[in-house]
Amino acid sequence: MQILLVEDDRPLAQGIKTSLAHEGFTVNHLTHGEQAINSLKIEAADMVILDLGLPDIDGNEVLKRVRKFNAELPILLLTARATLNDKVKGLDAGADDYLAKPFEMAELLARLRVFERRLSSTKHADLTIGDVSLDLVNLQVTVADKTLELSRREYMLLKALMENAGRIQTRDSLESKLYSWGEEVASNTIEVHIHHLRKKLPKEFIRTVRGVGYTIKVK
Amino acid sequence: MRSIRLYLLLSLIATITLVNFVSLLHGYQSSMEQAQQLFDSRLQSMAKLIAAANHDQTERAPLPQQQTPYVFFQIWDHNKKLIIRSSNAPSLSLSVLTPGFHDANYESYRWRNFIFHDELSQRWIVTAERSDIRYSLAEQVVLKSISPIILGIPVAAFIIWWAISLGLRPLRNLTEQLKLKQANDLSPIIIEHTPTELIQVVQTTNALFSRLDDAFQREHQFSTDVAHELRTPVSVLKVHLHNLQTTFGDNNEELNLLRQGVNRMGHLIEQILALYRAAPDQAMSKFCTIDLYSLAQNSIATNYGLFEEKQQTIELTGEPSPMAGDQFALETLLHNLLSNSCKYTPVGGQIVISVESSTAGVNLTIEDSGVGIPSNQYVRVFERFYRLYDDQYNSETIGCGLGLAIVKHIVELHHAFIELGQSKFKSGLKVTINFPIEANQPW
Repeated sequence: MQILLVEDDRPLAQGIKTSLAHEGFTVNHLTHGEQAINSLKIEAADMVILDLGLPDIDGNEVLKRVRKFNAELPILLLTARATLNDKVKGLDAGADDYLAKPFEMAELLARLRVFERRLSSTKHADLTIGDVSLDLVNLQVTVADKTLELSRREYMLLKALMENAGRIQTRDSLESKLYSWGEEVASNTIEVHIHHLRKKLPKEFIRTVRGVGYTIKVK
Repeated sequence: MRSIRLYLLLSLIATITLVNFVSLLHGYQSSMEQAQQLFDSRLQSMAKLIAAANHDQTERAPLPQQQTPYVFFQIWDHNKKLIIRSSNAPSLSLSVLTPGFHDANYESYRWRNFIFHDELSQRWIVTAERSDIRYSLAEQVVLKSISPIILGIPVAAFIIWWAISLGLRPLRNLTEQLKLKQANDLSPIIIEHTPTELIQVVQTTNALFSRLDDAFQREHQFSTDVAHELRTPVSVLKVHLHNLQTTFGDNNEELNLLRQGVNRMGHLIEQILALYRAAPDQAMSKFCTIDLYSLAQNSIATNYGLFEEKQQTIELTGEPSPMAGDQFALETLLHNLLSNSCKYTPVGGQIVISVESSTAGVNLTIEDSGVGIPSNQYVRVFERFYRLYDDQYNSETIGCGLGLAIVKHIVELHHAFIELGQSKFKSGLKVTINFPIEANQPW
C-alpha cells in the first residue's frame, strides 16, 4: 500500500513515516502542494495524507486540483484548524476524511485502515469483519460461509456500517446513504431494516447506541 | 442635572421671567413718576383756573354738582376763612396754608393737594385729588403690559423646548446609533452635519471602536496562530511517542509518564483555545438556529471511541430541539461534559443524555453512574484550574481543571442556567442546563 504524505513539518512527517512503515505501508513524503500535484499526475498513490497548512498553496486548493484528474483517490486531511467550518470546507472540496491535530497515531492508523478496507473491497471484492463477509461484486453476504438473503437496502446498510466499523453511523447519515434526496423515508425505516438484518446476522454484530445510531465493532 | 433639555428649558424660562420682572418694576416706577408729574401739573393749573374764575368776593354755598368724588377744591380768604368749596370738600383745611404741594389724610384716603396763593385777591386756592387714582392708573398701565408677558411665557417655553430639541438632535442621533449597535459591531458611527461640540466625541468614539476592532482581530489571529503553532508540535510529540511505544512496548513506565504529560499538555492547549474562541463578542455574532439534539448525536458519535474504550453504555433520549446558539461553543460544551462523564465514570458504567424541548426552552441533562461531585463542591468545580479531589497533579485522569469553567462560560454566553445534582444512578453526577427560549433569539 503506497501512501503519499504531504506535510511541511519535517519532524512530524518523519514520525508518521516511521509509524506507517512499521504498519507495512510504503510512504513517500513531500513538503509542498505543487510537488504533490505534479507527483500525483505522474504516479498515483493508493492514499494521500494531506496537511492543510502548506508553505506554497493551501491544502484545500491542492485537494480541488487533484480531484480534477483523480476523483477516486482516498485523501485524508490533516489540519491544525479544527472548527466545523473548516471540516465542512475540506469535505466539500473532496476529502474522504478529516483528522484534527493533535491526533493520536492510533486514530490516524484506524482511519487509514478504513481507507484500506474500502480499497481492498474494490480490488478484492470483499469486506470481512469477524464471521461476516461482504462480496462487493456479487452483492452477497456470507456468515461463516453460509450465504444470506438480503434486500438491496439491507445490503447497502450493512455495507455502510462495515465500511465504517468502529465508528457510529447516525440514523440521518444512514438515511442519506440509502435514499436519494426527495425520496420519502418513514421515520422508523432504518430501525426496520436493522431489525431484519439482526435476525440474519450473529448476535451483537450490529450494536445500537440509543438515540444516536448504530455501530459495528472492529474485531 | 438629569436632562440637558430640562435644564436649559428651566434656566431659560427663569432668565426670561427675571428680565421681564425687572423691566416691569422699572416700568411701574417710571409710569408712577410720570403720573405724579402729570397729575401734579393738572392740580396746579386747576388751582390757577379756579383762582381766575372766582375773582368776586362773595361767599358761596358748596357747589352741589359734583362730577368726580376724587377731586375737590377750597377757596380761603386772606383771613383764612373758607369762602367757597366743592360739595365733597372738607370745611377745614387739610394742611397749613402755605403755597405748594402737600399730602394729607381725609376720609380714610390719602389726598394730594396744591395750595396756590392768589396775590391779586389775597386768597388761598386749594385743589386736592385722591392719591390712589394716580397709583391705580400706573398699575393699570403696568398690568396691561404684564398680561402679554405672562401669557407669553408658556409660548416661549414651547418655542424653547422645540429649539432645544432641534439643537439636541445630533446628540439624540448619536445616542440612537450607539444604542442600536450590536456587541460585535465595531464599525464607526456616522452622523450627518456633526455639530462642532460633538465632533470630538464622535472622533474619539470612532477611534476607540477602531482600536477595539484591531484588538479583536489581533486576538482572533493570535488564537488561530497559537492553535497552529502549538498543535503541530504536540502532534510531533504524540507521533514519536507512539513510535517509541511500538519499539519499547506499552509497559515502559517512563514512556507512559511521558505520554500522560504530553496528553495533559495537548488537552490544556485545546481547552485554553476553546476558552479564547468562546469570547462573548465573537460568539454572539455567530448565533444561529441549532438543533441541540442532533448536535448531541454528532458529539456522541465523534467521541464514541472514548466510551467504547471504557465499555461504557451511552444513551441519548429526547427529540429535535432547535434553539439559537453558537455551534462551536455548544460543541465544546457537549464535548467537555461528555468527556468529564467518561473520565469520572468507571469501566462498564452508564451515561444518559437527554435533550428536551418545552415552551420554556431547551433542557440538556447528562447523568452518569460515576463518582459524582459532593454537593459542597458544586460551586467550586466551576472555578478555573480547580480540580476535584485535589487531583491537579494526579495524572491518572487527564484534565486541567478548565473543562467546567469553559462549560459555565458557554452557559453564560447563551444566557442559560446550569445545575449540578445527584444522578438517577446509585452514584454519579447529573448536569442540567436550561436554555431559556426568550434569551436566545437570534440577533
